[in-house]
Amino acid sequence: MTKVDIERKIQDENDRIAAGNRRTFTDAGVLVLNIISSPGSGKTTLLESTLDRIAGEMNVLVIEGDVSTERDMDRVRARGAGGIQINTGGGCHLSAGMIAEVLGGLDLESADIVFIENVGNLICPSTYDLGEDVRMVLLSTTEGDDKPMKYPAIFLEASLAILNKIDLLEHLPFDIEKVQKEIEVLNPNCEILRLSALKGDGMDAWIDWIRAKIAEKKGSS
Amino acid sequence: MHELSICQSMIRIVDSTMEQHPGAKLQKIFLEIGKGATIEPILLKDAFAIVTSGGPYEGAELVIDEIPIVGKCRDCGESFRYEEIAFGCPNCDSRSVSIESGLELNIKQLEIDEANGGTKT
Ligand SMILES: Nc1nc2c(ncn2[C@@H]2O[C@H](COP(=O)(O)OP(=O)(O)O)[C@@H](O)[C@H]2O)c(=O)[nH]1
Ligand SMILES: [Mg+2]
Ligand SMILES: [Zn+2]
Repeated sequence: MTKVDIERKIQDENDRIAAGNRRTFTDAGVLVLNIISSPGSGKTTLLESTLDRIAGEMNVLVIEGDVSTERDMDRVRARGAGGIQINTGGGCHLSAGMIAEVLGGLDLESADIVFIENVGNLICPSTYDLGEDVRMVLLSTTEGDDKPMKYPAIFLEASLAILNKIDLLEHLPFDIEKVQKEIEVLNPNCEILRLSALKGDGMDAWIDWIRAKIAEKKGSS
Repeated sequence: MHELSICQSMIRIVDSTMEQHPGAKLQKIFLEIGKGATIEPILLKDAFAIVTSGGPYEGAELVIDEIPIVGKCRDCGESFRYEEIAFGCPNCDSRSVSIESGLELNIKQLEIDEANGGTKT
């Protein structure tokens, strides 16, 4: 028997491709957000109502990751976004390689921001860096307030957490203060915003956050 | 879950190593997997058995070293072992704890049998 030392991260190849994506995005001066949540938390709804507020002011691209269908892509195209759909054919996450494959077909130079809607899943996407600037996790009030402690990995890596569907708070046993505290404990560097993508509460702060981040990215590249 | 695609990435690394040892038979793969890495060892082993069935790596064993989650308090500097990714320093009650280990997803070593049809280099 022979032992052969390897000593590598299994994610090395993904991370190397992600670093290439990140250089491409930075060279184009475009801000990139990787949006992760369970199915139904409101990722596409948030994109729709965000587009309603900013589509006239800036150039928005969306990369839609889904197991199948173009439905979410159709929804955001109808609101003025460009972009592309990736179907993972059963895969539970996007990988850096899937993003790299579609970048050639996107006009990043004239875009201000790229939203990547990851496959609906709170676990698997957290293992895959895509080359984004901001990893954001969406948690909605209908999912229960135990999620940060049950799925801590994503909160450890996120730099923004959005607590969505606050319009339903009065009907649900969702202790939003507790959730906010738990996220802060898990990751003191994670910013937290509360909003209702559907009804609009809290959307202004989110749009301000986007504008500030875009300015920051353009200033640094 | 993503054990299947982690398994495929792992096999690509194994392939590039096995190319250096033509004809050798893969016996074992030694892995380090953090308890907070969102990978279930049993599912990874199942995925590996399915993916390698009928191929040159069939029957190889995954030897998984599960790395405990260790957090270090940013305030008092004490380190603690946690059962789950967690929070709060049991020593000084600080809420600020950094994760020192437990998120690993590493391939460490292969055990191969060069005598088994292997060509001497
Ligand atoms: N009440 C309420 N419903 C919402 C909100 N945001 C999204 N939804 C609903 O939640 C469902 C799933 O939304 P969708 O955007 O498709 O979720 P995705 O799977 O994360 O993209 C839809 O029926 C939305 O109308 C919200 O802020 N409040
Ligand atoms: Mg969607
Ligand atoms: Zn302490």
